Amino acid sequence: MATTVAAPSVTGKAHKYESGIWSWLATTDHKRIGQLYMYTAIAWFVIGGIEALFIRSQLYGPNGRLVSADTYNQLFTMHGTTMIFMAIMPLSAAFFNLLIPLQIGARDVAFPRLNAFSYWVFLAGSLFMNVSWFMHAAPDGGWFAYAPLNTRQFNPGINMDFWVIGLQILGISSLAAGFNFITTIINMRAPGMHFMRMPVFTWAAFVTQFLIVLAFPIITVAVTFLLFDRFFGTTFYEIAAGADPLLWQHLFWLFGHPEVYILILPAFGLVSEVLPTFSRKPLFGYPVMVYSLILIAFLGFGVWAHHMFAVGMGPVADSIFSITTMLIAIPTGVKIFNWLGTMWGGNLSFKTSCLFAIGLVGLFTIGGISGVMHSSPPSDLMQTDSYFIVAHFHYVLFGGSMMGLFAGIYYYFPKMTGRMMSESLGKWHFWLTFIGMNLAFFPMHFAGLNGMPRRIWSYDANQGWDLDNHLSTIGAFIIALATAIFLYNFLRSRGHGALAGNNPWDAPTIEWSIPSPPPDYNYAKIPTVTSRYPMWSQHGPAPVAPPVPTAGADQPLPTYPSAEQLGIPMPTPTIKPLIATCGLSLAFVGLIWHRQIPIILLGGLIFVVSIYAWVLTPLEPEH
Amino acid sequence: MTGSHRARRTVYAALTPVLVLGIAACAGLPNTVFGAHSEIGRTEDRLTYLLLILGGLVFVLVEGTLIWALFKFRTRPNATTPQQTHGNTTLEVSWTLIPAVILAIIAVPSVRAIFETQAAAAAGSLQVEVIGHQWWWEFRYPQYKITTANELYLPVGRTASFTLRTEDVIHSFWIPQLAGKRDVVHKERPNYMWFTPDSAGAWNGFCAEYCGTSHSNMRFRVFTVSPEQFAAWVKHQQSGPAFPVGAATSAQTDTSKKAAPATTATPAATASLASADTNSATYPRDQLPKWTIPETPLPTDEHFDEGTIAKADPARGAQIFKTAACIGCHTIQGVSPGIIGPNLTHVGSRTTIGAGLYPNDMQHLTMWIKDARLMKPGSIMPPMGKGLPEAMGAFDDQQIADLAAYLSSLK
Repeated sequence: MATTVAAPSVTGKAHKYESGIWSWLATTDHKRIGQLYMYTAIAWFVIGGIEALFIRSQLYGPNGRLVSADTYNQLFTMHGTTMIFMAIMPLSAAFFNLLIPLQIGARDVAFPRLNAFSYWVFLAGSLFMNVSWFMHAAPDGGWFAYAPLNTRQFNPGINMDFWVIGLQILGISSLAAGFNFITTIINMRAPGMHFMRMPVFTWAAFVTQFLIVLAFPIITVAVTFLLFDRFFGTTFYEIAAGADPLLWQHLFWLFGHPEVYILILPAFGLVSEVLPTFSRKPLFGYPVMVYSLILIAFLGFGVWAHHMFAVGMGPVADSIFSITTMLIAIPTGVKIFNWLGTMWGGNLSFKTSCLFAIGLVGLFTIGGISGVMHSSPPSDLMQTDSYFIVAHFHYVLFGGSMMGLFAGIYYYFPKMTGRMMSESLGKWHFWLTFIGMNLAFFPMHFAGLNGMPRRIWSYDANQGWDLDNHLSTIGAFIIALATAIFLYNFLRSRGHGALAGNNPWDAPTIEWSIPSPPPDYNYAKIPTVTSRYPMWSQHGPAPVAPPVPTAGADQPLPTYPSAEQLGIPMPTPTIKPLIATCGLSLAFVGLIWHRQIPIILLGGLIFVVSIYAWVLTPLEPEH
Repeated sequence: MTGSHRARRTVYAALTPVLVLGIAACAGLPNTVFGAHSEIGRTEDRLTYLLLILGGLVFVLVEGTLIWALFKFRTRPNATTPQQTHGNTTLEVSWTLIPAVILAIIAVPSVRAIFETQAAAAAGSLQVEVIGHQWWWEFRYPQYKITTANELYLPVGRTASFTLRTEDVIHSFWIPQLAGKRDVVHKERPNYMWFTPDSAGAWNGFCAEYCGTSHSNMRFRVFTVSPEQFAAWVKHQQSGPAFPVGAATSAQTDTSKKAAPATTATPAATASLASADTNSATYPRDQLPKWTIPETPLPTDEHFDEGTIAKADPARGAQIFKTAACIGCHTIQGVSPGIIGPNLTHVGSRTTIGAGLYPNDMQHLTMWIKDARLMKPGSIMPPMGKGLPEAMGAFDDQQIADLAAYLSSLK
């Protein structure tokens, strides 16, 4: 990435962080941070997928004995935790980082060093939780970790300690980023970029950040109570001391339901970028698409107990949550229809990115329908805690979030790297994923309605579940093959893809007006925005999407004047966020490692000193 | 709301054949939630059918439109720029209101069913206490002062009213073919549910809330029987243990010198569920459907020698039991008072052991007693075999076989 030059720092250590590994460790550039998130998230997606392959292999046939019950319980706990917190959320964060400043015409986020800190803390938290595998003591309480199973009384080992502390670390990362992006979007939009002119992805990201800053404190409270119970002998969840087991469930799901909207809204935003470009017409019903995002987020805080229809809350609570859950289907459904309206009457060009976006529309619909089925409590008493639910959430998380995120990856890879991914490999990835995903998860609807409970290590013969499980396992392996193809494409295209140019898709929003990859200052001159689709405002979209660039695979990326040459002050790279992260991690390691007070204090000291130094260092050099 | 009634009936009529075909495909599957055999289950199923029909309708409309659009509007080489439509208010209002109407069609019967199914149970219901343990089910019938485990007998046609509690973590009580599930959450504050079984049969029950290591091994059986059979079962359960004859009603723990074997001789052969034991008034073994007979494999190649089992003596086993650690956890009426593990007074009459995990026969029972933790991961029951880690007994195989013979005789 030596096309740009880092601005000199105040202390005169001019080009220490210009290139090589230091340029990554000390980066404060949102585009680099976005790439770091993306690579790390993809790695965790693969690891979570391997965990899934173990699960599916164990469940291939009745009475499987590939892994022990204890190992299986660790596998399904980590599969869920990894996919949610270490794959989907950071993939979304990759796009927040990459796109928000570009889409609003800014040079970076409001707090670039806090941004780097968020990434490093995410990396630390994810590594922290997964170190447990090496001790064969991975968390085993389920990703939802219900009390009292999660308490020391019923889970005395170190497994859930890893979960509790790991989640606290990951929460810090998300919260910091949330405040960062909210401030960025409110304060740093280019002239003319009114809220109702912002690209829908930025809107989706904006709403998601509010969900994060309002929901994560709730899980922080829940997990802090549990951390104190497990480490310091408090009794928030100890039933022997009279605690109510439902306290955990209410706290967890008050977070957990907004969390699923945190998982899906960014993917919705990406689809709202991709479909208009490949339909050659604007997004259908832009205002409603924005309002529905806000309404979904708002209503999302009112439905949490639909995860608790079997716990005996009573008919009044059941009825209220049933109705609020049905209500939230309305703004969600409206989005599907608006995407159909976007495609209707257009000239659809089925590039890989577009295929994945269409995949979300089709597959999320299925997940949404099963979701509405869960909203009726009497029927849900047959569905809940069965494989019918597993089918539902994989359709919305894989068929929804992952499809949208893949659409975003294929769409924005050229902008991020300057090169095109292979379209033919992309199509293999799409079709194998589509087939594999449906084969893996559609039979689970049947398994569930045929009485198969969730989270079971093994099932007996003659229960009527064998065929569904065979099919699911085969589907899982097809997904694995598809993902391998994607990985090859992703890694190879970085260095060997065709040159992309500024706007290979003839897309309408302003990030496509600047070079690919953008120079570190993004816009040489901050644009003044006069419409929602600035790149189409003069001539409209080309009638047919341009052909995918194929030339320049062996040529280097173009170079541009540096920030210094243009006199643009840019944030100085600094290693302090990484050092702060190391201090924080050390403190948590001290806590889990038999509460070594000296290590906790040392880590805390490093954390405080590095933040102090960071805060006192000017963001940009004097000039 | 007559409009929605009419609409609903039309939709039913149009899609019923599709649904019937689909449900027929699932019929005959042993644990299906469809065709549930109680009024509660049928109420829940009716809502599920409604949801499936409406969901199917939405599916066909939306996916159909999507696929149609993909074909109709795929790009052609000499296409012109499409019309730059920004929206259509009429259309957007319609497709906001129509889903709202569909949801109202779901909401009304849902709320009604919530209140119906959660109303208090009818007076005169059969009271059943369900207590979840890691990883087995305790069932008590307070009206009859019966305590049993892992097998639930219910009379056809009489409402069973359940009080649901847990001794430890949250579990969930689910018999898919009878009714929807309910979690067991608290030790003191119970959950309540009721249903009236409408047909005789043998049904599988499962724990449906992740509860730790052996969550998937926390299964149970439900037998719905005629009222007469139920009365006979109750009477039998109320009686003391079947072995030894004469010593059964005494409460003393001194070793009896009586060597007379029980009238119900323990079958020494392995894996024999076929012998119908009319004394115990239990569900006839030869009528057990295949899916209620566990096929869980033994965890290792190890198994008890047939000769050892053939020589197993229930009288010797009774003597061993009286002074073994077993009495600290298990109740055999008049013999031992433990309440940590399942009540064993009539364990010989159960069709499975280990909470629906293994068939109740000598081969499995001996392996269970020897090393329950190997047979069921995480089991709180310690091994009883000599030399095993953390064993609370030091019994050799013959002694364990004797114990198993004794327990098998407790029909």
